[in-house]
Amino acid sequence: MKKKLISALLCAAMVSSMLAGCGGSGSTETPAESAPAAESAPADAAPAADNVAPAGDSAAAAGDGSVYYLNFKPEVDAQWQEIAAAYTSETGVPVKVVTAASGTYEEVLKAEIAGSDAPTLFQINGPVGYNSWKDYCLDLSGSELYNNLSDKGLAVTGDDGGAYGIPYTVEAYGIIYNDAIMQAYFATEGAKAANVDEINNFAKLKEVVEDMTAKKDALGIQGVFASTSLLPGEDWRWQTHLANLPVYYEYKDNNVSDMAAITFKYSDNFKNIFDLYINNSTCAPGLLGSKAVTDSMAEFALGQCAMVQNGNWAWGQVADVDGNAVKEEDIKFMPIYTGVSGEESQGLCIGTENFWCVNKQASEADQKATLDFVNWMISSDAGKDYMVNSLGNAAPFSTFGDAEKPSDPLAKEMYRFMESGKSSVTWNFTTFPSQAFKDDFGAGLLEYCNGNMSWDDVKELVVTRWAEEKSATAQ
Amino acid sequence: MLSAKTKASNKVIFVVLCIVAVAILYPLLFILNNSFKGKFYISADPFSLPTGETFAGLTNYVNGLIQTGLLSAIGWSFFITIISVILLILFTSMTAYYITRVKSVYATVLYYMFVFSMVVPFQMVMFTMTSLADKCHLRSPLGMCVLYLGFGAGLSVFMFSGFVKSIPLEIEEAAMIDGCNPLQTFFGVVFPILKPTAITVAILNAMWIWNDFLLPYLVIGISTKYKTIPVVVQMLVGSNGNKDMGALMAMLVLSIIPIIIFYLTCQKYIIEGVVAGAVKG
Amino acid sequence: MEKTLKRYFAVFTLPTVIAFAFAFIIPFAQGVYLSFCKFTTVGNATWVGLDNYKAAFESGQGFTSALGFTAAFTVISVITINLLAFTIALLLTRKVAGTNVFRTIFFMPNLIGGIVLGYTWQQMINAILYRYETTIVSNAKYGFWGLVILMNWQMIGYMMIIYIAGLQNVPTELIEAAKIDGATPWQTLIKVKVPMVMSSITICMFLTLSNSFKLFDQNKALTDGAPMKKTQMLALNIYETFYGRTGYEGVGQAKAVLFFIIVVAIALLQLSFTRSKEVEQ
Repeated sequence: MKKKLISALLCAAMVSSMLAGCGGSGSTETPAESAPAAESAPADAAPAADNVAPAGDSAAAAGDGSVYYLNFKPEVDAQWQEIAAAYTSETGVPVKVVTAASGTYEEVLKAEIAGSDAPTLFQINGPVGYNSWKDYCLDLSGSELYNNLSDKGLAVTGDDGGAYGIPYTVEAYGIIYNDAIMQAYFATEGAKAANVDEINNFAKLKEVVEDMTAKKDALGIQGVFASTSLLPGEDWRWQTHLANLPVYYEYKDNNVSDMAAITFKYSDNFKNIFDLYINNSTCAPGLLGSKAVTDSMAEFALGQCAMVQNGNWAWGQVADVDGNAVKEEDIKFMPIYTGVSGEESQGLCIGTENFWCVNKQASEADQKATLDFVNWMISSDAGKDYMVNSLGNAAPFSTFGDAEKPSDPLAKEMYRFMESGKSSVTWNFTTFPSQAFKDDFGAGLLEYCNGNMSWDDVKELVVTRWAEEKSATAQ
Repeated sequence: MLSAKTKASNKVIFVVLCIVAVAILYPLLFILNNSFKGKFYISADPFSLPTGETFAGLTNYVNGLIQTGLLSAIGWSFFITIISVILLILFTSMTAYYITRVKSVYATVLYYMFVFSMVVPFQMVMFTMTSLADKCHLRSPLGMCVLYLGFGAGLSVFMFSGFVKSIPLEIEEAAMIDGCNPLQTFFGVVFPILKPTAITVAILNAMWIWNDFLLPYLVIGISTKYKTIPVVVQMLVGSNGNKDMGALMAMLVLSIIPIIIFYLTCQKYIIEGVVAGAVKG
Repeated sequence: MEKTLKRYFAVFTLPTVIAFAFAFIIPFAQGVYLSFCKFTTVGNATWVGLDNYKAAFESGQGFTSALGFTAAFTVISVITINLLAFTIALLLTRKVAGTNVFRTIFFMPNLIGGIVLGYTWQQMINAILYRYETTIVSNAKYGFWGLVILMNWQMIGYMMIIYIAGLQNVPTELIEAAKIDGATPWQTLIKVKVPMVMSSITICMFLTLSNSFKLFDQNKALTDGAPMKKTQMLALNIYETFYGRTGYEGVGQAKAVLFFIIVVAIALLQLSFTRSKEVEQ
C-alpha cells in the first residue's frame, strides 16, 4: 500500500514538474509562503504588477494593459516607485518601475527588452540611442505627449520624420559651489577675487582655487573640489559631462553637430580643468578609483569642500545627506571654464539626454496604458506635481505653467543662467559613439590619475576609440 | 606517549595554526566591525572599532534592508535551493539507476552527455540558455529549479551511477521476484542504499546553487522580485547612484550568516560530503 | 529485470532529460551554431562563417590578454593553494590540540559565495591600500595578487580537507618502518607520504585548476576587470562581450566556444595524466 502511494505521489510530482518544464502552466501555484512578508525590493512597489510569472500573461490579455518603465536615474528611484504606486491606486493600472544601475542602462535594457515581459516605456539618450533601439521605438508624433511638447525640435526624429523620442526634462550642469565658503574665502587677506562674478575664465578660476587650497585649513575644508569619482560606472561626470566641453568647441569650430573622427583639439583644455579638480581635491589622486558620485555629493553636503561638478539633478543628493551643512540659499552654479578663448560669455551646459520612448513591440493594450501613463504625468495635477517637485524635472511641455517649475536652488540657478544672456553649451555628448567609448575614456582617466598613463596616451585613446566606435556603431 | 620534542614542536604548530585561523577569520570580522559604523567613517578609518560618533548602531542594517529587500532574497534563495536539491536528488538518482542498469544505446549516450556537460563552462550556453528559458517561461523560481535540475544533472548522475555500480544486483532481483515493479524496487531497496551518496550530492548542489550568481542574474534578472542573495548583493554595489558602504557591509554580514549557521550545524556531513564528492568527481 | 526497467524509461529518465535538454543540450547546440553567425537575439542569426573567430583575436577584443591573465593567475594560484593546503594538512594530522576547531575554521570560507567574498575582500584590500593613498584598481598588479589571495583564502580549506583524508589513509606501519630505517622527517614526507597521497594531489590540482581557470564571480566583484580590463579573466571577458554592448554577440559566442575547447583540452590532459599515474601504482 505504502509503496503504491509513494509511486502515485512520485508520478504526480513528475507530471507537474514536466508541465513546469514545458509550458510554464504548472507554475501557477505561486510559492508565496516562502517569500517573507518583508518584501521591500523596489520592484515590488507595483502590487498587482505580477506579470513576471507566466500566469500574468492572462491579465495582460484581458484587455487592460500594464506599464513597465525602465528608469535611467538611480537617484530618483524611490520617487518613481512612489509615482507608480500612486498611479496604480488612482487608475488600477499596474505600473512597474525598475531602475538600472548607473552606466548599465543599455545592458539592462538589452536584457530586458528581449524578454517576454519587456519594458513598455524606456529612454534613449538621443540620436545615437535611437540608432540602436529604433526597432523598438514607437512613432509618437500623433500622441498627446508630442503635441504638448513646447519645442518640437527637441524630439528625436527618424528619417521618416516621425517623433520617436520625447524629452521629459531639460537639465543643466556646471560647477556647483557653496557660497558660504566662497564668501569666507573672499574675506580672507590677499584673496584673488572679490566675488564669484570675477571668476569668468579658467586662469582666474585656477588662481582662486589654488589660493583656496593654500588656505584650506583656515576655510575649514579638506579640499576645494569634491573627489573626482572614478570608480568604474561612477565616472560619467568626466568621460561624458566634462568631455562635452572640448567636443562642443571642436564641433563649433567645424560648424558640425557630429563627427566620425575627432582630433580632440581641445584636449589641453580638458586637462586644465581635470588637473585642477584632482590636485585640489579632498582626497589624493590615487584614491579616486574608489570614489562614487555619492561620496562626492556627501563631501559637498557636509561642507568638506567648496565645489563639485554636477547638474541640477544632484540637489536631492545634497539635501538628503544626514548632517547636511550647506544652506539652501548658498548652493549656486558657475560655468565650467577650461581656458578656451572667449569663455567669459560661456554659460552652463544645458540640454537633455532623457528621451522617453514607447516600446513598439509591446502589446497594443500595454502601449495604450503606457501612453495614458505618460500623459497623466504631464497633464494631471498629481502627475505634474510629481514631475516638478519629486523628480525635479524642468519639463518642456506646454501643459506646465510658469509657476510649475522646480523650485530647488539648482533649478532656479539654471533658469537664472538661461535668462542671463550667456551662451549655453549644448549637450553634444548625445553624439558620443557608445558606452564602450565612454567607459574606456573613464578607465584612461583613472590610469592617468594613478600615473600609469601619460596625458598624450589618454588623448590618443580618445581619438582612436572614438573613430573605432563610430565606425562600429555605424554598421 | 608523545616525546618532549614532539610536544615542543606541536606547541609551535599550534601557534602557527592560530595565526592562520586569525588570518582566515579576519576579513569576516572586518566587515562585521565596519557594518556598525556610519557610512562616511568606513573608508577613513576602516580598522578601528566603532566608537562614539562613528558608531551607527543598526542603521546600516535597516538602510540596507530597505534598499535591497535582502530578506525576500534570503527567502527566494532558500526556496530555489531546497526545491532544486530535492528535484536533483529524486530525478537524477532515478536516471542514474536507469542508465547504469539498462544497457542500451540511449543509456550510454545519455551517460556520456552527462559526463560531457560537467566539463562545459557556463559561458558556452549562457546566452542561448537565457533566451530559451525566456521563451519557455522559465523565468520564475520554479523555472530556475528546472534549470538547476538540468545543470546539476551532470555531476549528480555521474556520482549516483558510480555508486549504483557497486550495489549487487541480487538484492534488486530478489525484490523483483517478490513482485515489486521497478519503481517500487528503486524506492524500496536501492534508494535507501544510495542515501550516503544522496547526502553528498545534496550538499554539493546546495553549496553551488545557494552561491550561484550568473544563472539567476541572467534568468530571473533584476526586474523581478525573485532575486536571490548574490543578485541582491551585486545590485546593491552596482546601483551606483546610491552606493552606501555601510549598508553594503551590513548586507554582506547578513548574507554570510545563514551559511555559517548551516555549516556549523551540518559540519560533519558537509566535510564528508565534500571529500566524497571530490574523490569521486 | 532489465527489460521491465526499460519499459519504465519515461518515469526514470524523462524528467532529468527534459530539464537537461532545456538547460544544456539545446543551448549547447544553438551556441555552437551561433558562433558562426551574426546575431543580436537567437532568432535573427545570419551565417558569417569564421568571422567571429577572427574577430575574437583582434587586440581590441581583449580575449588574448584575458587568456594571458587567466593563465598566469591559474598557474600561481594552483601552486600556492596546493602548497599551503598540503602544509596545513600535514600540520593538522600531527594530533595538535584543537585540530577539529582549526579544521572547521579553515574550511569555512569555501561556503561563502564568490560575489559576497569578492566584495568583502575588495573592502579589505582597499582599506589597507587606503593608507598608501591608492586603491585596488590603481594597478593591475594589485588586482592580480588580490585575486590570488582571495582564491587562496577560499580554496585552501577545501583542498586541506582532501589532503587530510589522503594523509589519514597512509598506513602508519609504513611511516614507522621508514623511521626505523632511519629516514629523516623530510625523507619520510617526500619518499613515503607524497607518493601515497598522489591521488589526492591529482584531485586537488584538477579542482584548483578548473576553478581558477573558470573563475567569474570573484573577478567580477573584486575588480570587474579594472583598470583598463587588465585584470579581466576569460569568463568575464566573454560575459562583457555578450552583455556589455550590442552587436558583438556572435564574437562572444565564438569566444565561448574557444573557452570551452581550452577547458576540454585541459580536462583531457588531466585525465590522461591521472590514468598514467593509476597504471604506475
